[in-house]
Amino acid sequence: MNRATLTLLTLLLICALSLVAAQQRARKLFLAQERAQIEERKLNQEWLRLEYEQRNLSKSARIRDVARNQLHMSPISPERTLYLREVK
Amino acid sequence: MRPVGFSTSPNLVLRLPMWRSRMMLFLLFFVFMLLLIRAFWIQGPGNAFYEAKGVRGTQRELELPASRGKILDRNGQVIATSLEAKSVIAYNDTVPDDLSAEKVKSLANLLQMSESELRKKLKEERKQIFLKRQVDPEVAQKIKQLEIPGIGLNNEYRRFYPEGEAMAHVVGFTNVEDRGQEGMELSREKELAGHPGQRRVVVDRLGRVVEEMAILQLPQNGKDLNLSIDSKIQFLAYNAVKNAVEQHHAKAGGAVVLDTQTGEILALANYPSYNPNDRKYLTGEQLRNRVLTDSFEPGSTMKPFTVSLALEKGQVQPNTQMVIGAKYLIGPKPITDTHPYGVLTVAQIIQKSSNIGTAKLAMNTSPQEMWDLYTAAGFGQAPKIGFPGAVSGTLHPYKKWVPSDQARIAFGYGVSTSLFQLARAYTIFARDGELVPLTIERSPEFKPGTSVISAKTAIEMRGMLETVTEPGGTAIKAQAEGFRVGGKTGTAHKLVGKGYGNKYRAYFAGLAPISAPRIVVAVMIDEPTGGSHYGGDVAAPVFSTIVSETLHTLNVLPDAKVKQMVLQDKTPEEIRTANVQTQHVVLKR
Repeated sequence: MNRATLTLLTLLLICALSLVAAQQRARKLFLAQERAQIEERKLNQEWLRLEYEQRNLSKSARIRDVARNQLHMSPISPERTLYLREVK
Repeated sequence: MRPVGFSTSPNLVLRLPMWRSRMMLFLLFFVFMLLLIRAFWIQGPGNAFYEAKGVRGTQRELELPASRGKILDRNGQVIATSLEAKSVIAYNDTVPDDLSAEKVKSLANLLQMSESELRKKLKEERKQIFLKRQVDPEVAQKIKQLEIPGIGLNNEYRRFYPEGEAMAHVVGFTNVEDRGQEGMELSREKELAGHPGQRRVVVDRLGRVVEEMAILQLPQNGKDLNLSIDSKIQFLAYNAVKNAVEQHHAKAGGAVVLDTQTGEILALANYPSYNPNDRKYLTGEQLRNRVLTDSFEPGSTMKPFTVSLALEKGQVQPNTQMVIGAKYLIGPKPITDTHPYGVLTVAQIIQKSSNIGTAKLAMNTSPQEMWDLYTAAGFGQAPKIGFPGAVSGTLHPYKKWVPSDQARIAFGYGVSTSLFQLARAYTIFARDGELVPLTIERSPEFKPGTSVISAKTAIEMRGMLETVTEPGGTAIKAQAEGFRVGGKTGTAHKLVGKGYGNKYRAYFAGLAPISAPRIVVAVMIDEPTGGSHYGGDVAAPVFSTIVSETLHTLNVLPDAKVKQMVLQDKTPEEIRTANVQTQHVVLKR
C-alpha cells in the first residue's frame, strides 16, 4: 500500500464518520423542529382561547350588567356631556 | 490372489446409470434457476409491491390541520372563532368486554350520558363509533387519563360565538363538520373554510416522526372576515327590539341600522333569536332572519316615496294645500284616513300620514313614473349583499296596475318589501337623493350612490320627515335626546288568508341627525297585541333608543338643543388637561 492509498482511506473514514454525525445532527434538529412546531400550534391555540376569553369578558351584555349593577353607572346622555372639538 | 480391500472390491462397485446423475444435475440447476428468476422478479418488475410494503411500515401520511377563519366586527372584535376540541371515538373491537363498572361510570359522566346509553354504544356492531363530538380539551384530557383501551381522541374544531343571541342571525352557525349552515358562515364559506394539508413522514418503531419526506400539500387556513357590523350597536339594537317585542306581547321584531356615508350595515337585529353556541337550539322558526327574508306590505312607510315623486315633478310644493275629505272613492273600497281631515298641506300629508292625500298625489302621476321611482329605490329587487335567502319583495309591473292598485300602492298596500329593502330605500332621503350601495363587509370609505331623486326633493322630504316626530306628527315617541330625527311611521294590516285580519305590523323607518344624516334606522314589530298597535307607539320608541345610543357610540355631535350642552374648540393638549367633571366626547374633524 502506498502513501496515497493510505491518505485516501483515512479521508474516506473521516467522511464516513462525519456523515453519520451529520445524519444524527439532522435527526436531532428535525426532532427539535417538530417539537417547536407542536409548541407553536399549542401556543396559537392558547392565544385563540385567551382572545375568546377576553372577548367573553368584554362583551356588551356583560359590560352593561357590570356597569349598571356593580359600578352603579348610568348611560350617558347629551345633557350631561361636554362636547369638545379637537382643533389642530 | 492379492487381497482386495473392501472399498476397492470390484464386486462391490455399483455402476449407477448415467441418467440419474444427469437428472440430479438438471434438478439442482432448475431449482437454482427458479431462485434466480424469483430474485430477479423481486428486484425487478415486482419491486414496487415490496417497496410499498416497506414504505407502509416506516412512512405515514399525516394531516396538517388548517383552521377556519375568524369573523370579526368592524372594530376587530371577535364574533366567531374556532377553538380546538376533541371527538371521542370508541373502537369497539378493541374495547375490552370486561371493562370495570367504575371506568364506565366515570367515562359516562365525562361524556354527560347515562351509563346504559354508553354501554349500548359500546356494544354496537360498528367497528368505530363517535361517542361524542366537540368535547372541551379539559374533558378530553380527563378521558385520556382513564386509559381505557380502544377509546381514542381525534382533533377537530368547535366554533364559538361570544355575542350569542344578539348576533346570531348575522353570523349564522356551522355544523359539526365546521361547515357554514346559515348567515355569513354559509355565504362566505369559501373564504372562511380552511383546507388541511398533508405531509409524508418517516416514523420509527414506536410511531414517532423521525423525518419528513415531503409536504404533499400545504395547509391553508381560512381567511378572517371583517364585517361592517358594530357589536355594540348590534347589541343595543337587539336589546331595543327584544324589549319592545316583550313589552307589546308581539310575535317578532327586527331592526336595521345603516351608515349613510359608507353604506355599511352597522346592525341587523332579529327577535326571537337563538344561541348559536348550543346545538339544540339550531332548528325552527327562530332561525329566520326576518329583516332580510320576510317581505311584507310596507304601509305608510311607502308614502314618502310617492310624495317625493309629486315634488320631483314640480306638481306640488311642501306647503301646497290639498283638499283631503273623509273618503276617496276609487276601486271597490273607498280609501279612508284614521281621522278625517279637511285640508292639509303636502308636508302635513306626511306628518299626519294621510292615505287619501297620498293616493290623490299618486293619481296625478303615471303608473310608469311611480314604478320607475320605486324600482330605482330598490323595491322589488333583492339586495346584493351576499346574504342567503334575501328576498326581493314584489312590485308588480305597472302595466298590470288598475287605478285602485296605483292608489293603494302609493300608501304601501299591494306591494311588498323586506325591512332591509325599506331601510335601503330611505338612504335616498339621507343622501340627498342617492341610493347608497350597501355592504356587510367592513369598508369605511365614502361610497358614491346612484341618483334617484334630486337633492332639493330629498332635503324637502327630510324636513317633512322631521315634522312626523314633532308635536302634531304621528311619532313623537321617535324623538331622540340631543338629536333631530325624522322618519315615517307605518301600521299595516297583515294579510291573513285572502283578506286583512285584525293583525298588524308596526314600522318606523327614519334617519338621524336631520342636519347631516349619518344613520338610517328601520324598525319592525310583528303583531303587537295588548294596547296600541300603531307604528308611532310601538316601533318609534325602539327607533328613538337605537338612534340616540348609536349616534353616541359613533361620537356624532348632537344637533338639537339640550340643556347645559357646551361646545368648545380645544387643542388635544387642552382636552387632556381640561378639568371638567362632565363626560368628555371628543369629536374628530
